Amino acid sequence: MVNAPLKLYGGALQATEQALTALLGKSRARYVLVIDRRGFVLLHQRAPWAPPPPSLDALASLVASNYSATAALAKLFGETRFQELMQQGAQVGTYLEEIGSQALLVTVFDPRTPLGRIKHLSKGAVTEILAAQRLEDGAPPELPFSALLSAAQGPLLEAFETPLSAERSNPLSPTGALSADHTGPERSKPGLPKGGA
Amino acid sequence: MSTVNFAAREINFKIVYYGPGMSGKTTNLKRLYDHLPEERKGELVSLATEEERTLFFDFMPLELGSVGGFKTRFHLYTVPGQVFYNAARKLILRGVDGVVLVADSAPSRLRANAEALRNLRENLAEYSVQLSDLPLVVQLNKRDLPDALPPEMLREVLDPEGVLPFFEASALHFQGVLEPLRGVSKLVLEKLAQTA
Repeated sequence: MVNAPLKLYGGALQATEQALTALLGKSRARYVLVIDRRGFVLLHQRAPWAPPPPSLDALASLVASNYSATAALAKLFGETRFQELMQQGAQVGTYLEEIGSQALLVTVFDPRTPLGRIKHLSKGAVTEILAAQRLEDGAPPELPFSALLSAAQGPLLEAFETPLSAERSNPLSPTGALSADHTGPERSKPGLPKGGA
Repeated sequence: MSTVNFAAREINFKIVYYGPGMSGKTTNLKRLYDHLPEERKGELVSLATEEERTLFFDFMPLELGSVGGFKTRFHLYTVPGQVFYNAARKLILRGVDGVVLVADSAPSRLRANAEALRNLRENLAEYSVQLSDLPLVVQLNKRDLPDALPPEMLREVLDPEGVLPFFEASALHFQGVLEPLRGVSKLVLEKLAQTA
């Protein structure tokens, strides 16, 4: 199954990008990111004056995990949710807003920027992004399902071929059985949703 | 459930390394990070205790290449092995696309392996996911131990029906590390393609 946390094509994409650009400009934040709740970066923008950001994948993964942990913490106390997720350091701060049920807006800012301004403008950007999601844009671009199936048979997974150097060094089994694929009888359609594809 | 990002033309997958404490989940990720080419991998993030036990998770992004104009990207996670961190394990499983169960071949860890599998099944159920519906492979790690249990015995405990792909490994020596990742990636891609 494929999940698209936000409609990021056509007019919806354009309107969402405009909302991020406006947020970045008005708030004087360093970076703004839209991520999904599993920790994947969906969109990001950087202020022209801002230093290069850290790894965006790592940032998104940590923010999403922190969000999940905070939600679990709220549940422990019988709360449905905690309202805000914010961190402030000497050099940088982060502020989080939910975008619907599947995505998050992350604003990374300097401490000299008033937090109230960041909050106000971030909430406004979320409203604009959610409005963009309601735009009629027709069908999304088609996904290359058949090409994916072909790629899964080999070409795409070449990165996982065992380097010869690793095979030759430190052999652990005189029979060479190590790393053998002990695949059992073919699993009955692994991962297929029950009731068929 | 894979995540598609039409703006960046990416399809993203989440793979989780699961298993009992000290079975070698973090070692798998570290060895992958050491050996995969720079252009394929991102930064390795570890949230660990001072004793280098995983506290929350380890994380590494991996890019495999483009298919039909879409980049395919995998996020690899480990979970903490210690049972008292089960809340963290559960959080990491959210939205998982495939699992590598890292089993310890030491005789004293046989029960811990079975317990980890049972715990995986229970935690997935909280997200309404059946273990049988999830791409899953088993890595039998620490095959270099002098008293390593026979693979047949481990399979009998972990997969009595004989339906799962098993891979022997010594992750510490980068033996059998790539194969289970390749195996689970293949299953994940095939599952996605079958949803068309």
